[in-house]
Amino acid sequence: MDRHSTTEAMSEAELAQVLSQVRAGDADAWGELYRRYAPAIFRFCRRLLPAREDAEDATTEIFMKVRQKLGTYDSSRPFTAWLYKVASNHCWDTLRRRRIRQDLETGDLDTLPLEHPDPGQLERLQTEHTSKEVRTGLAKLPDRARMALVLRYYADMSYDEIADTLGVRRAFVGVLLLRARHQLRDALSESGAGAQRASAGGKS
Amino acid sequence: MSHLDDHFDEVTGLLYLERQLDEGRVREVSTHLASCAACRELLRALESEGVWLRQALLAEDEPIPARLIAAPERDGANWGWIASFGLAVGGAYTLWSGFVEPWLAQASQAGFTQGNLLTMLFFSGAFWKGWDVMRSLTQFLAVATLGTVAVWLLRKQWRRFTAIAFVMGALVCALALPPSAQAADVERGNPSYTLPAGQEVKNDLIVTAAQRTRIDGDVDGDLIVFSNVVTVSGHVKGDIICFAQALRVDGPVDGNVRVWAQNLTLNGPIGKNVIAGAGAMELGQKAVVGGTMTFFSGATDLNGRVSGDLLSFGGDLEIDGVLGRDATIRGDRLTIGPSAQIGGKLKYEGSRQPDISPSAKLAGPADITIRHRGPDYASPRYYWHQVLFWGAAFLLGLVMLLVAPGFSSDAVHASRRIGPALVFGLVFGIATPIVAILVCFTIVGLGIGIAGLLLWAIAVYSAQVITASWLGEKLLGAGVGVGGAIGRLALGLGVQQVLMTLPYVRWMAFFAIIAWGLGALVLAIYKRMRPQAAAAA
Repeated sequence: MDRHSTTEAMSEAELAQVLSQVRAGDADAWGELYRRYAPAIFRFCRRLLPAREDAEDATTEIFMKVRQKLGTYDSSRPFTAWLYKVASNHCWDTLRRRRIRQDLETGDLDTLPLEHPDPGQLERLQTEHTSKEVRTGLAKLPDRARMALVLRYYADMSYDEIADTLGVRRAFVGVLLLRARHQLRDALSESGAGAQRASAGGKS
Repeated sequence: MSHLDDHFDEVTGLLYLERQLDEGRVREVSTHLASCAACRELLRALESEGVWLRQALLAEDEPIPARLIAAPERDGANWGWIASFGLAVGGAYTLWSGFVEPWLAQASQAGFTQGNLLTMLFFSGAFWKGWDVMRSLTQFLAVATLGTVAVWLLRKQWRRFTAIAFVMGALVCALALPPSAQAADVERGNPSYTLPAGQEVKNDLIVTAAQRTRIDGDVDGDLIVFSNVVTVSGHVKGDIICFAQALRVDGPVDGNVRVWAQNLTLNGPIGKNVIAGAGAMELGQKAVVGGTMTFFSGATDLNGRVSGDLLSFGGDLEIDGVLGRDATIRGDRLTIGPSAQIGGKLKYEGSRQPDISPSAKLAGPADITIRHRGPDYASPRYYWHQVLFWGAAFLLGLVMLLVAPGFSSDAVHASRRIGPALVFGLVFGIATPIVAILVCFTIVGLGIGIAGLLLWAIAVYSAQVITASWLGEKLLGAGVGVGGAIGRLALGLGVQQVLMTLPYVRWMAFFAIIAWGLGALVLAIYKRMRPQAAAAA
């Protein structure tokens, strides 16, 4: 899936013109750029940061940074890639300022199960849980695991970009993603089991 | 699983799907897949999981919040802070020169020479000895400023609700930790209390009695009474502080009398000052007030003698006694009888011409100002004042837009729900001051009560900004950017100001605007605090 799917369609020529106008200080063009991309960036922040207010603040701050740094944007690269890079750096810094990262890179490989997971169980998880439940489960994950999943499956970032943002080796990104998937599966299974217990308790 | 030697692991499967393996490894995996159903099944499940994750994360189930509709402006926050800082300095100066200083001067005139505004307002000595030491205006402002700075610094690190709760808690603790109190005798009437004649309390005496309190004996200290009907005929060597339906003081009081009562009668000599709020009040012929007299009263008869200045706010005032010094009177009606004597200047401001007996002895000509009830539509000054009111409200709105654009936007959004906003506005508009005043009557609640009243007053004044933005949006349409928001605010405030000057409808418009805007503010605050409260729970 392409990153542009998260925003309203804007042709490359149109985008280039808008960016050029923004650089020249055109307030209307800046408003147009913001209107096109702010919803996607807000949802991106919403999936990464714990509270809605944090996501709102972050969205505003990210666009302030975008406006300041627009001169450094290399137009040979996709704009959305650059935008998500600015956004992910900002969110990661926000999370990092709040707590010391506990999950270290070393030793993670040993903790991953080498056995194949049960494909049937994976399919059950996918049919039993709504998108909202997935995002609720995502919020329970450690910051780095959550970041990895969102950067890959929401912002469509490459492994190189993810490695650069999270400050890990490229070879470790796959491990990080798989571990995050495992943690999400566990979180969803627990919430499902909890709901079943609550339902059974209610009936008894 | 027992096929580890044959099957590839899950990481390899994921990297294969995501095209992250080198060519050689890809060939190996592909070859294996051609002959292994279990691994093909695993890859299908992983691929399906990837698609499922993308769909879940990309689902657009949450609209962009109203505060994010407008693009952030470069340096907007700096201008906001500069503007708010300038306004804060101007506001502080205006507050000081227009409100605090005159009150301090009047307090000084009324005998409160400590220069302590809160002491004067809340009779601090009555509640707790030592509060006047703790609660100087400077200290209060310092604590409030520190609290504001702390909230600002902590807002990024902590959840807002937690930060506000912490700072408010610290503020209340700071205010509620006065130096240790002096001992006092506390008596609870059940339902009445009497201190018999001939008995003396060698201490402060605090009395609470549901029905009647009689003080026929002597009190060698302050007398503090909360009761329905109070009669004091004994000798009180300190102050009398009283909250009562009716208070009658016939005996001598060496200190001050500070009273909040429906009916107040003073017949004895009072050594120092009188400050009172009363529905009806009488200073008997035999009464002599050694210091000054300050009161807020519906109807007052002054037949005794006041040695110091007189400061009166209220309805009807009749003077037949002797005032040793200046008299400053604001009210509806003033009558100065034939036996009255006023030793200083007489300054009166009211809606009717005073009735001054030719036999009354005045030290000089009276300074009389007659003010008209209701707006004077014929006066250009009236319209100039409306423009000033508009300007003040516009400045407030500007600061709100620049400093708290998100909250302003949320409040305007909430104002679109007219019914709930009006209901909440009415409830909070009426209930908040009542609760705050009730809280003020408890010792530890005083700080909370004052803070509540201040916040309520600010919210009431801010309400017009919210409704004006809504009105501007209706007239000009919604738009993007701060410029548009300022234009909508300016127009909305102008229309509201006109509405509030129209005869017959102006009060209705005023109350509707306040209730509606206040309700919108309450809804916006509730919306902001709800997630944190839920998370905390």
